[in-house]
Parts: sequence; structure tokens; C-alpha cells
Amino acid sequence: MNDVFNITLIYATIRSATPILFAALCATVTQQADILNIGTEGIMLTSAFVAVLTSFTTGSWLLAIVLAIVSGIAIALIMAVANIKYNAHICAAGIAVNMFALAITKFGLKQFLGTAGTFTSPEIKEIPRIHIAALDNIPILNDIFNNWCVTEVFGIVMVVILWFLLFKTVWGLRVRCVGRLPMAAETAGISVRRMKYEVMIISGVLGGLAGAHLSLGYSQMFADNITNGRGFMGVAAMNFGGMNPIFVWLGTLIFGFIDSVGARLQAYGLPSQFILMLPYFFTITILVLAMWRKGRLSEKAKSAL
Amino acid sequence: MAAKDDFIVEMSDIDKSFPAVHAVDGGQFTLRKGEIHSLIGENGAGKSTMMKMLYGLYRPDGGVIKINGKVMENLTPSISISEGIGMVHQEFMLVNDLTVLENVILGFEPKKGVKIDFEESRSKINHYVETYHMDIQPDKRIDQISVGEAQRVEIIKTLYRGANVLILDEPTAVLTPQECTKFFEILQELRNDGKSIVFISHKLNEVMDISDRITVMRNGKYIATVNKEDTNTTQLAKMMVGREVFLSIEKEKGNIGAPILELKDIWTSGEKELSKIRGVSFDVCAGEIVGIAGVDGNGQSELIEAIAGLRKVEKGQVILDGQDITNYTPLQARQAGLTHIPEDRNLRGLNRALSIEENLVAWRFEEKPYAKGINRNKKEIRKFAERLIEKFDIRPADPTVITQSLSGGNAQKIVVAREVDADGKLLIASQPSRGVDIGAIESIRKILNTVKKEGKGILLVSADLEEVLALSDRIVVMYEGKIMGIVDSEDATTDNVGLLMLGERPDDEEKEVS
Repeated sequence: MNDVFNITLIYATIRSATPILFAALCATVTQQADILNIGTEGIMLTSAFVAVLTSFTTGSWLLAIVLAIVSGIAIALIMAVANIKYNAHICAAGIAVNMFALAITKFGLKQFLGTAGTFTSPEIKEIPRIHIAALDNIPILNDIFNNWCVTEVFGIVMVVILWFLLFKTVWGLRVRCVGRLPMAAETAGISVRRMKYEVMIISGVLGGLAGAHLSLGYSQMFADNITNGRGFMGVAAMNFGGMNPIFVWLGTLIFGFIDSVGARLQAYGLPSQFILMLPYFFTITILVLAMWRKGRLSEKAKSAL
Repeated sequence: MAAKDDFIVEMSDIDKSFPAVHAVDGGQFTLRKGEIHSLIGENGAGKSTMMKMLYGLYRPDGGVIKINGKVMENLTPSISISEGIGMVHQEFMLVNDLTVLENVILGFEPKKGVKIDFEESRSKINHYVETYHMDIQPDKRIDQISVGEAQRVEIIKTLYRGANVLILDEPTAVLTPQECTKFFEILQELRNDGKSIVFISHKLNEVMDISDRITVMRNGKYIATVNKEDTNTTQLAKMMVGREVFLSIEKEKGNIGAPILELKDIWTSGEKELSKIRGVSFDVCAGEIVGIAGVDGNGQSELIEAIAGLRKVEKGQVILDGQDITNYTPLQARQAGLTHIPEDRNLRGLNRALSIEENLVAWRFEEKPYAKGINRNKKEIRKFAERLIEKFDIRPADPTVITQSLSGGNAQKIVVAREVDADGKLLIASQPSRGVDIGAIESIRKILNTVKKEGKGILLVSADLEEVLALSDRIVVMYEGKIMGIVDSEDATTDNVGLLMLGERPDDEEKEVS
């Protein structure tokens, strides 16, 4: 079993968790304003494609990230306008956006990259990794901390930034108020619509990062439906963490851990279909646990005994 | 008196319609610096609507609003706030899981760099706490403080925003008589400090107590503005209702019989810590009205839900006419003879998307003759509905009208009709006259007395202490989920019941009851 549970599992967990982490933060920021962002999946998928396309044609990973973010914002705004301006149900808008993303990326793959299914090329410029030469010869630290992808570091930084934004700044206080009692915000002279647009734009940024990291950091390719439910897992992790970025991060680490262990178990002859099922199985398990815990806590809090 | 340009607020010929109603029609209102001006009228008279327009929450369809002499067009809450208008809404605008401090500074947060400057906020808030002797705990979350404290938080919030004009929408509805006295002292201090206060209410005694001037509205129309010295409660009531009012019904001692409802050491969960029921026992006898008095949120709703099968009884027994109905489902409890006018008619009393007849037959549509196989027997339902509409004077008298469009009073009459006609052994009447006009209050109180004379037990819950005192034979006072005392109606006064509601036992009362 040493092949499975060893020191490299730590980094493997971070690696698998990061795409889900960005998605989870994307869902967290909107949930704080009481918008259930199931369109995370679509935002992520679209920007993953835009990232690969940009990186392949321009050779700049940075420009690729920027354009991925722009496309993420564009998709988020479709939902925002539909929901905030035209009162469409946010879930309907989210589903629509997810289906749209599936189709448009398929079309884009054929149209601009001339292929179907999967696109890989050595000319796709990936997001660089941080190599710390000093760690090369230190066994354990090297395995854990060396050669992180830039966006993997940034993901953790983002957890802290988002936590700070939500709980320490004026903007965060207003967002939390909008999500909990919009009338109180309205009577304090805060524009609820404006705040909702703002969180949707930020979720577009985070979803864009999620997509760019997935196709240029986590892998160097684009494939149909490359997100494969990671956006939804992000929503699940957001629920698990109760909209608090720190706990949400822990939720994504659980997903990352299970994913990494699963991948390693394949070597032990477990059928690959079973391994592929694991993330979804645990998505359900984690959601059930999170809801059960929430229910138990509130029941206990209310009991007179 | 003051010249015309002394008014800080002037609203003239205000007009406002909503899709279903013409809420305000020719509204007039003026406010001077340093006065308490009451705005009175029945539910739906347009008082709150007028003030929400002044605060910028609604936009008037017509008329002129002047603040500090300036004509205001396109008012929004933030413009109003910057002009010094502050409003404490009937339903508090406080976010439950944020702290008191966070709620107060919301929208006007002092900053230190990119962070909120909590120290600065705290000292600013303390200034108001000390000036007006309003005790609040800035670091508690809203769901941990009492209603009275929440109200002080709301007032500090408006002061913190720089309000010179405070609009208070029915502020005393949630207070005990003693808390009211303290609250009025704060208002007077504010007035002496040069603040102007708009006091929205329909309680005439309070209005006569606190106001300098009084404006009366009826059915959205402006009736009159009078100085307090020139009027009295009778005249005000007449202006409010448009006719003489007789709310006090001659109380008749019924023939009190055997216990119908016995509560034995009931424990049940609560939405708040203070509303958890912990060991409540009392009886309701046949031919008796037992009233539960208490400040809202002290467990009255939870207790009623537990009896009616809507909330789990964690310990103890509910016995209805000898039958143990503890933790029955609502339908089982009904079949055992329990009828229930729920406190929130829109949530539990009515299906607002359905018609009057469908609501009237709601709990027995599966029974014969209202059901015919798997079909409804429309003829029988219509006959049944028409009978109740006539008996209880529900208007409009058309059984097919959707209940959404009905006034509060007629909507409530549907619920009352259904429950009273169900002919149970016990009638629970929870806030039976909340949000209904005086005419409907009169008839609902008469109906309750008739039910009592028929020898049924009635358990009455009301946030309106006057109502409890006017109807009940015995009064159970609840405080923090327990019974503070049980008082016979002959001995009950606003004073001694009010003290019990505050959790204090008057010395001359009997000791410990529960």
C-alpha cells in the first residue's frame, strides 16, 4: 500500500483539488449573495476552451488566462442578466448556460482547431511551474512543495483573499447582507441589483481561472466536456463548507484526496470504471453528510431538552 | 404657530396605486422640527405606504414631497437617508446571523484602508447608547437578542445614519406595557434633542400619550390633522373608522365544564432560545376562553404548533377530551376534535391561489358529500360554501373568487368560518384579529363568544394584550417558554399582566404556578 499512501499523495491531492477549488470559490461568492451558481460548470468549460485556443494561437499563457477570465465573465453575465434583470430562475439560467457551453466548445473545437473530441499540441503554452532549486535535494519538502503550478499557489492565496473580502471589508458585509435579508440592504441605501451583478462578475473571474487552470495547468489539452462535473463538485464543496472559503477549501481537498487515491488504486487492478465513479459517489456522500450535519445541528440547537 | 417654511417634511396630494389597490389617494402630511407626529388609521389605511414613499422605497404616482423645503423627485432610500430621514420598519430590517454592530453600520461603514474600522464604529455607536440611554450589546448576533433590544438597535441604526426624522412603524406592537413606558421616555429625549418623530400606530391611548399632533387616514384618504390638546380617543376612533366603535363586548361567564384540553409538562423545540417550551402545563375547560398573553416570541407560537401537531412534542402529553393526541399529525388532531385558526393566515390558514369555496372545504374535501368517488362534488361544495359565506358575512359573496384579492378581514373570516363550522371540541384562535379592520375584529370577537357559549373550549393567543383581557376567562402569561402566572380575568389588569409578561412577579400575586 506504500505506493498509494506516501508523501507524494499530499501534492497529488492539491493538484487534483485546485480545479475544483476555483469552481467552488466561484460558487461561494455568488452563494453569499443568495445566488445558487450551478452555471459554474459552463463558465469553467467555456473558459477552458478559450484558454487552450488563445494559448495555442498566441503562445502566451498569461494572455490565455486573461481571455479565459473575460469569457468567464461573459458567461456569468448571461446568467446575471437573465436572473437579475429578467427574473429568470437562476437554476434555469444555469442549466441553459451549461448546455450552451457544451455546444459552443464543441463547435469551437471543430471550427477553430479543426478537430473533434480532443485537442492536444506541443504548441499549447502551459501555465509555468515554480521550481525551487534549493529544495531539489531535500527529500520530503521537495516532494511536497517543489514544482507547484503558479495557479495552484494562487488558488490558496485566493481562498485567503476571498475570506478577507467577505468577512473584513465593507463590500463583503454588504454582500452577506444582500444574501440574507435584501430588504435590509435596500433600506440602507445599498443597491441589491448592483451587488448581485458584482458577485456574478467576480464569479466569472473565478470560474475563468478554474477553466484556464484545468486546461493549461492541470492538463495541457482541451477535450469535449473536459470539466466532467468539476463545476458541480465545486458547488457541492461550497455547500459542504457552508459558504466559508476556508471550509470550502477543506471540502475540495477531500475531493482531491479521493481522486488521487482512486487514480493510484488503478494499479491494484480495480476496474477503471469504478475509479471514475468515485468522485461522483463522494460528491453525493459529501452533500448528504453536509446536509445531515446541518439538519442535526439545527435540530439540536432548537431542542428544548 | 410655526410658519409654513418651518416644516422639515411636507407631503401634499400624494397618490399611489398598487396593481390591486389604490393605497393612497390625496395623502397629506407635514412634520415640524422637534415634534412627535402620529399617523393613525386602520390596517390598510395607507399609513405605512405614505411613509415608505417619504423614505424612497415606493415612488408616488402623483403629488409633491418636500424635505427641508426642497422638492424631492425620484427619491431613493439613499437620498432620503442623506436628507436625514430614518425609518424603523414594522418588520425589523436586521440580518439574523450578523452582529448588532455589523447591522448598525451597514451601508455607512467607517473604513481603515480596505478594512472595516470596527473600533471607530463601536465608539460612534456608544455615543448614541450613552446619549439616549439605550442599552445594546454590539457583539451579540441579532438572533441572540430580545425583540425590545432589536428595536433599540433599529433606532440606533437610524441615528447612526444621521437621521433627524425618525419614522417608527407600529413600534409598540412588540413591547410590553412597561417596555412601552421606557420606550416613550427615549422618544421624548429624542424630541427634546430636536429630532422629529413620525409615530405610526393604531393604538389610540399611546397616540394620545406621546403625540404633539395627530394625522388620521382612512382607506388611503387624508381625513384630518389635529393637535393633541384639541381631541380625544373617541373622536380619533370615529375619524379612523368612520363610525362609532364598540369593541368592548359584555363578558359573560359561561358554564365552565370539564377540562377539554389538558397540557401536561410540555417540552418542545423553539425557533429561538427564548421560545423553547420548557415544562408547560395548564387546562382549558369547556365553555371557557383561556388567553395566552406574552410578548411575541416567548414561545406562544411554538406551544400552539405543538398542540396542533405542527411541531414535535419532545416531552409531555397533550390530552384532548380524554384522548391522548400527543404528536398526532394535524389531520389526526383535527379528527380528534381540534380546530385551529393559525397565526399566519397566509402561511397556514389559506391557500391564496385558490377560491373561497376551495378554502372553506379545505380540510374535508375528501369526505362525503364533498367528494364523489375520486371527483369533487362541486354542487355540494358550492352549497356548503354559500351557506358559510352567508352565515359569516364573507365579502364578496361569490364562492369562486380567488382569496388573494380579499382584504385581511374577509380573508380571516374564511379561516374563522371554516374552523368554527368544523364543530370541534377545542378551538385554538391564534392572533385572530391580526391585520384585520375594526369591523371584522368586532365580528370575530362576537363569534368567539358564541363558540364559548356553545360549551367549547377556546385557547386564544394574541399579541394584543387588550384583546386577551377583553375576551379571556383566565389568562396564562408566558415568558421565555414558561408560564409566569395564571390570572383570573377579574384580577387581571394591564399592569399586573404586563409585569408578568416582563418576567417579573408582582408581590401581591400568587407565587409560582407552574
